[in-house]
Amino acid sequence: MITERKPKNIFTQGPIAASFIADSIQKHDTKTNIGGHSIFLGQVRADVIEGSKVVAIEYTAYEEMALEKMHQIREAIFAKYPLVCMHVHHSLGKIAAGEICLFVFTSSEHRKAAIDACTETVERIKAELPIWGKEIFEDESYQWKENK
Amino acid sequence: MPVQVIVFGQLTDIMGNSPVTIENAVDTTDLIDQLNQRYPALVNKPYIIAVDKQIVTGHTTLSGNNTVALLPPFAGG
Repeated sequence: MITERKPKNIFTQGPIAASFIADSIQKHDTKTNIGGHSIFLGQVRADVIEGSKVVAIEYTAYEEMALEKMHQIREAIFAKYPLVCMHVHHSLGKIAAGEICLFVFTSSEHRKAAIDACTETVERIKAELPIWGKEIFEDESYQWKENK
Repeated sequence: MPVQVIVFGQLTDIMGNSPVTIENAVDTTDLIDQLNQRYPALVNKPYIIAVDKQIVTGHTTLSGNNTVALLPPFAGG
């Protein structure tokens, strides 16, 4: 049976708090068919570029398109892996170095599906979602982030 | 038919953050030609085009009241 899933909003203004992640884990204690969780956390890195240090990344997105695309990715991942659930959160706005900007959380009966689905989801988010990051330096100059 | 153009990321340095209306463009090629004339810095910048949130390639006919988005390389995560 295919369950219809509605597009979810993945965007959060500001950083993703560690307490939010902890609560999200806690909420799964009633889903006792789960045997393995996989979590990816993206953190803003203080890159040094030509002597200037990145202090924050300001994220923007083409939100409507990103949510439609994320819905397609979610459907494809659920079709490919036997997941119990998946949660994705991405920050918008200014996120300081050291703060969490991406939280991907997959759960399945056995570990392999959760791990592989988490990895593939992260890769697809980076490659396919219309999101941009402005790397802001200490002197408030900036450059546009490029994904590697 | 008017076309609304929105841009993101590094292209906002060239075209700003507000939608730009092009009064008459028959297809995406015509639209880009007009934008390149109005914003010379746009020429040779890397981006893909989405018409009404769908990524398109080649000449795509604009039927009117479309929203065309110019999307520079994605950098999420």
